[in-house]
Amino acid sequence: MNRSASVVTVVLLALVGASATYVLQRSSAPQIASEQRLLESRQLLDVMPAALYDNQPLEQPLTKLTEPVLRHSTLSGGYRATRSGQTVAVLLRSRSEGYAGTLELLVAIDANGRVLGVKTLEQRETPGLGGHIGEWPNAWLQAFIGKSRTGPTDAGWALKKDQGQFDQIAGATITSRAAINAIHDALRYFDEHRALLLGTGS
Amino acid sequence: MKRTVSLLMLVPLLGATQTFSAALGITLMLGAVLGVFAVCMSPLRERLTGTRALLASLTLAATLTSCADIVAQRWLLSWQQTSELYIGLIALHCVVLEYHGAFREPVAVSFKRCALFGALMLVVGGLREIIGYGSLGRGLSEHWQGLVLFPEGLHLFTLVPGAFVLLGLLLAVRQAWTRRNSVIKETHRP
Repeated sequence: MNRSASVVTVVLLALVGASATYVLQRSSAPQIASEQRLLESRQLLDVMPAALYDNQPLEQPLTKLTEPVLRHSTLSGGYRATRSGQTVAVLLRSRSEGYAGTLELLVAIDANGRVLGVKTLEQRETPGLGGHIGEWPNAWLQAFIGKSRTGPTDAGWALKKDQGQFDQIAGATITSRAAINAIHDALRYFDEHRALLLGTGS
Repeated sequence: MKRTVSLLMLVPLLGATQTFSAALGITLMLGAVLGVFAVCMSPLRERLTGTRALLASLTLAATLTSCADIVAQRWLLSWQQTSELYIGLIALHCVVLEYHGAFREPVAVSFKRCALFGALMLVVGGLREIIGYGSLGRGLSEHWQGLVLFPEGLHLFTLVPGAFVLLGLLLAVRQAWTRRNSVIKETHRP
């Protein structure tokens, strides 16, 4: 085969390849986007039992939280989970400083101000020590389920090392402390802005 | 040639076999892409030579891998996200295997080699999942949690160094096995 014919073959192959990829990409982009949303929401929402709510919490974000800067953490957003129109839970995204970087937690709080679940969304803690906080399901974070701002008391919202009532993640005092403070902050915020968050007062 | 190819095959073998389902996914994808690549390259190989053949194989490998990646994103997104890196690498596998003439061998030989490699992938993936997570078959289906054998596993084996250790142990077992067999044969000689 002569030179020009083989060049034509290569060019043709490149054209066919590029257009096939382009067409496939174009045709499946919507499905991929919806799959991505589904996966994302599943990853976020397994923080609480699925039977609890019947809406799409991620499509009801709580934008513009008032005074989102708290004592130890900052709230970057939230979602509202409802069941037959009634708010059953509020999910708050909380960012605080861990040992090695930002620690982002998702705290699910029910309408009575009790923790439904806590999940780590982002962490840069030491692998093998504080990094355990990123595992899911997470036995340490499960210890917070059912706790509220007032039970335990403010003094109890600390590590046993600090005369509180929570165990720490072995070898990760700073990470554990950051998480406890962030969860307590979120609960305090919920209590103070309860009506607004539940969407009943305003 | 052998060394480059086996070193390159080591990458998915160690990196993408965290669980049995991940290993199965990457094995199937490798098999499918390499298969289609081999079929498409065979008419081109006779017509093109040198740089042009390499260019053609590069384009073809890139096309096939991108299409496979898009298909995986569409139907198996959660698996695709954990193995994204290794899916992209399949293109490199195609080009390197082509460059070293692996597809020019008889079909039976390459088929046997592929089957062996696939079996090794699945064995490593299965063992890593059993030792690392204490379960087998997690993530194969949405409604099945997998066969739970132990409540907790050795974390090391879920990481790449653990896979390396496991591969070393498997090789040691194989060597011990072949050596024992040869010793028995020798002692039974008249």
